[in-house]
Amino acid sequence: MCHVSVGHVARAVEEAGVATVGVFVAAFRFVARDMSLPRTLITSHPFGRPLGPANRPERHAAVFEAALALVEAAQSGPALIEMPGGFGG
Amino acid sequence: MAESFEEFKNSFSYGSRGDLSFKFLKKLDPEMAGEAISQILGAIGASFDTGSVAELHELVIAWQVRAYDPGEGAVPAYAYDTAPWAPPAKPLSECRVGLLTSSGHFAAGDDPMPFGEPDMTQPEAVARIGDFMRESPVLSAIPRDISRDDLRVRHGGYDIRSAVVDHNVVFPRDALVAAAKSGRIGSVADTLYSFPGATSQGRLRRRALPDWVDTIRAADIDVLILVPV
Repeated sequence: MCHVSVGHVARAVEEAGVATVGVFVAAFRFVARDMSLPRTLITSHPFGRPLGPANRPERHAAVFEAALALVEAAQSGPALIEMPGGFGG
Repeated sequence: MAESFEEFKNSFSYGSRGDLSFKFLKKLDPEMAGEAISQILGAIGASFDTGSVAELHELVIAWQVRAYDPGEGAVPAYAYDTAPWAPPAKPLSECRVGLLTSSGHFAAGDDPMPFGEPDMTQPEAVARIGDFMRESPVLSAIPRDISRDDLRVRHGGYDIRSAVVDHNVVFPRDALVAAAKSGRIGSVADTLYSFPGATSQGRLRRRALPDWVDTIRAADIDVLILVPV
């Protein structure tokens, strides 16, 4: 239900005029789709580790950069893209 | 009486085995759960010889996806036809960026004390997941420059083992700060936010969100990074 909660946060904040981007794990892609969230990056990571494995700052930075790039590139929503690479990067 | 296979697979979801990384087994019917466990054991066996657990990890992730797939024709609990849209009005290199996660992080000395209970442990939070799902969420304000040692995490709905080792897997403060240092973004908000996302949707939307939105706007945040778990 966490992903639905964040989906509602995304919609409310964006409706108030602030751009949002969510980083979702693949298992909850359907939540971003059903809730028509403005911008969502999907990572092929397991529950509880949406940015990647612990102590892998290069993977965290790559996911974070992909989320920023989505904010720059998306011209309309819902915009949903897949993060390249698996859990190991 | 011997435990049935159905009882076994369901026990990972808030049951006697309670491993939230594998709570997805409860969502699979017995035949599919048996196939999942068989494949996972096969991958463990293969890893003895390959020395790599990458295939095993990918397999578990694939079964998590399969278990939660609502399937065609399923009626979503929450569905919306259009997306709200408010692109940033300036380049990212000039934007103030914030972070809000549902990971259940909070600062030491500022425990949100669910249900008024001080020092609630992770196992206690897991045991009270039903109560969390009925209550209003509390948003914790976390100083951007908080030390790793002063960051706490507690959440009854997911396996926090990785978040305990490295908050960045769900609360990517370090990547956010690095992006500002490199000039990729303009600045980082002084305060970051987190809440336990397992909560009442009605109370979240009607009671909590209006104040949360005011807080975000008052902080002059141009872009908000959201991380659910």
